[in-house]
Amino acid sequence: MKAFRKIPAYLLLTLLGAVMLYPLLWLVGASFKSNEEIYSSAWFMPESFDLSVYRNAWRTVTPYTMGHYFLNTFLIIIPKTVFAVVSSVLVAYGFARFDFPMKRFWFALLMGSMFMPAIVTVMPVYMFWGWLGLLDTYIPLTLPSLFACEGAFVFMIVQFLRGVPKEFDEAARIDGCSTLGILVHILVPCIRPVIVSVSVFTFLWTMNDFLQPLIMISSVEKYPLSLILRLSADSTGDGYEQRKILAMSVIGLIPSVAVFAIAQKKFVSGITTGGLTG
Amino acid sequence: MKTKTCNNPVGTGKYTGLLLISPFIAGFLLFTAYPFFASLVLGMTETAGGELRFAGTDTFKTMLRDSGFRKAVGVTVKYTLILVPLKLAVSLFAALLLNMGIRGIGVYRTVFYIPSILGSSLAAVIMWQYLFTSDGLADQLLGLAGLPHISWYGDGRYALWMIILLRLWEFGSAMILFLNALRDIPAEYYEAVKVDGCGSIRAFFTITLPLLRNAIFLNLILQTIAAMQEFSAPYMITGGGPMKSTETVGMLIYNEMFRFGDISMANAVSWGLFMLIASAVIILFRLTGGMKEEM
Amino acid sequence: MKRKAVTIQALLCAAALSACGSRTGKDVTPPDGKLDGCTLRFSWWGGDDRHEATLNALELWETLHPEIVIVPEYGGWDGWTEKVTAQMKGGTAPDVMQINYDWLISMSPDGTGFYDLETIPGYPDISGFDSEVLSFGRAGGRLNAVPVSISGRGLFYNSLVYDRLGASYPSTWEELFELGDRFSGSGAYPLDLDIQSGGTAWYLAVVYVQQQTGRQFITMDGHLGFTTEDLRAVLDFYKELEERHVIRTIQTRTDEDGSAALYQSPEFISGKVAGVLEWGSSVGKYEMVLPDGALEAGPLLTDGEHTGGWMVKPSLMYAVSAGTEYPDEAAAFIDFLLNNGDCAEMLGTTRGIPSSSFARERLENTGRLNGLANDCAGLLDSVDTVTISPYMELPRMKEYYNDAIESVSYGTADTASAAEALYSSLTEYLEKIRR
Repeated sequence: MKAFRKIPAYLLLTLLGAVMLYPLLWLVGASFKSNEEIYSSAWFMPESFDLSVYRNAWRTVTPYTMGHYFLNTFLIIIPKTVFAVVSSVLVAYGFARFDFPMKRFWFALLMGSMFMPAIVTVMPVYMFWGWLGLLDTYIPLTLPSLFACEGAFVFMIVQFLRGVPKEFDEAARIDGCSTLGILVHILVPCIRPVIVSVSVFTFLWTMNDFLQPLIMISSVEKYPLSLILRLSADSTGDGYEQRKILAMSVIGLIPSVAVFAIAQKKFVSGITTGGLTG
Repeated sequence: MKTKTCNNPVGTGKYTGLLLISPFIAGFLLFTAYPFFASLVLGMTETAGGELRFAGTDTFKTMLRDSGFRKAVGVTVKYTLILVPLKLAVSLFAALLLNMGIRGIGVYRTVFYIPSILGSSLAAVIMWQYLFTSDGLADQLLGLAGLPHISWYGDGRYALWMIILLRLWEFGSAMILFLNALRDIPAEYYEAVKVDGCGSIRAFFTITLPLLRNAIFLNLILQTIAAMQEFSAPYMITGGGPMKSTETVGMLIYNEMFRFGDISMANAVSWGLFMLIASAVIILFRLTGGMKEEM
Repeated sequence: MKRKAVTIQALLCAAALSACGSRTGKDVTPPDGKLDGCTLRFSWWGGDDRHEATLNALELWETLHPEIVIVPEYGGWDGWTEKVTAQMKGGTAPDVMQINYDWLISMSPDGTGFYDLETIPGYPDISGFDSEVLSFGRAGGRLNAVPVSISGRGLFYNSLVYDRLGASYPSTWEELFELGDRFSGSGAYPLDLDIQSGGTAWYLAVVYVQQQTGRQFITMDGHLGFTTEDLRAVLDFYKELEERHVIRTIQTRTDEDGSAALYQSPEFISGKVAGVLEWGSSVGKYEMVLPDGALEAGPLLTDGEHTGGWMVKPSLMYAVSAGTEYPDEAAAFIDFLLNNGDCAEMLGTTRGIPSSSFARERLENTGRLNGLANDCAGLLDSVDTVTISPYMELPRMKEYYNDAIESVSYGTADTASAAEALYSSLTEYLEKIRR
């Protein structure tokens, strides 16, 4: 009976799912299509499946395969994600649970840092790393995350922490928990979903980030995947084959989808009373 | 909301909090404040053959006079006003559907999130191309429904909608935050209203919506900021055209900075955008009562 | 007073760290006249063909000069200007760079942005270059860069469509207009012009007016050579092309092609649009999507009397960074890229038809110089060409042209007022940036 009532919901979900997914099916199909075929038919199915496109895409024109660039990307993403989570949680903890001089001012700065378009800072930041001799390493791409540089993450975690009753902290303190102990043992488990969210967002945004690595990294062997995806896209000179770009994009999507599919279970398994209701 | 219990509920010293946020302060100085100041200096020294000249106020005046800037502000505000409410509504709707205790929720969640992974990559650009050019899928569907052809790319009135649709399609992140919040509403609340004979629509308005207040506020702020800074989607899909109808302020900054190499103008426009976002966020805080009670 | 200004500057420099240092404080390493073992960075942008050919050439270099290691840095065009701009400002530019023509203006306004190649004894060998060609690489009197190839835009047509409609390629402007009438019945268009980054719409209209008036649109030293009337003639010419069905209107074009380049659009591939104005050096991508041999070069249009007005420019150049520690070695490497016969054979025409006579002869002898690129170069050789001013190519200038064309096409401005607005924007901007 109960399942019966949910039929409209399933229908809606499937419809919505189709809308979300069809363009992607087309994307995969189109990676097998020639330039002529690509826009001429609305149907996603290609006339034939020729896997050589994927073989070529995987090999790349560089001396390395895409596997090498996947590895590079992970060398950036893993430290960056860890840094972002740790620093954002600490800072958010400070904002959500403590009083200190000029708190409103600091919080305004945090919000304000989200309003500033990052593009104009690219050049000075580049020079700063050049001055330290750290260009063409992954440090400029990862280290800033140690400083809670994504205001949005801190803001998100602050919002979640506000939903966790302060009585939890007080009880723990009476039991002799230290300041950090409360965070690690009491609060972090409560806000696990948002921590997973922050990690996943960092992962996915880093996968797509193009401008930062383009400017900071100059050795081809150190390129992350996002640069390789555009390596062949020369819009001014020789032109490029769309299916190759699409095939590379499809390959590049796989880890992101996998990470999301694995992590999504954790998104919503926080302890009740935690989180955003209140 | 809960009332404030005490000023320093669990913290030990006056400076513990400050110590905890110190990474942020250091990072702010190093990666936000310093580069901005340096960028201003660069802007000043770059003009007129390396000669130092304070061009700040001049540049600002030029910017405010410039019709391109005013138009970009208009486009950005319109874009934000349309996109943010739609995105919040769609992501909340999807989250509610997913929260009905259905089977295969993981699959649906993943499917709904996949578009967000694409962002505004070349793949997304090629896809939109396929959907919205003449005789594209969108046009064919309109034709099937007996509706007239729409000039998506070529007409300024619709080109912005094309960008909005891309970003709307990528509602995954907002949906995740709503799902997090929905899962934390105890089922007993609903049981209680069911006993009262309330319909599910009423339950939504009397229970769900009020309890989601914080999540809505969070999404509202984050999505507004993201929308007002938008640059990559119009940059990749329409290049700002036709007739600058999709040229956002973010795109203007990028163009000034990198295409035209005018750092001082890029700085001036950045400050303009900063003010714009700051006022939008302040208005939102005021309207919703924001986080007043705790900050 | 002056001291005060200097103090302020110093303070600001400290704030911006190396910002000022890259500009003033950097020492130029003088050449020492011999080749030492070292590692050089070499950067270029391009597509797969160019990447592959260049990597092969680097292997050849390794066998010749194993002591000079070349580290390649390459990528697609998107964002490449941004990357190099950051490197130039940060003083971390690669030793050898492939650069674009207009970068000389933006990155080396006074000629000190890149190494003066003529101060390096013996290298590179520039005897194989026309002195006029070399002059494109000069900034502030210093040889900043050596052009790899000279290229101009020519007209190319889809012969299948022209044959089907019984049309022949136009040789005068009037014939071009008449083609519009002939094509209009079929729904096809004889030509395509765009306002994307290439801006062929503006280009062709400028050729027309340059031919009529004998004036150069923008002079080599950055002055506007056209009058308001000339600019109006440019826009009128464009508008007439649209009205007489020679080209699609901007709106139709944008609707049909979106942001895709013409060679990727179904309209071009299916033959609905049967002509294109393109650089001889990069027409290959159009050729590739049509059946073999379908794309042919057509005559450069004249008014029956004058043949001038058509333009050429260096398509790419090689430069050595001003901060390199190994000028001799970098210059030797450039020499290899430009003049070495075996290298020329490997690179082929992936950077256009080489300007170096040594490289060109080698390609001629091995039968590598044929096809559309060569046809186009031959046609341009046979007319009195105008050199494109680097100022004409600046992105901001292109933005002004395209805006004017767009407003005329959409009918938001008449050609007279658009020309006036354009005239003042162009003169104002040129005034600001002229070196």
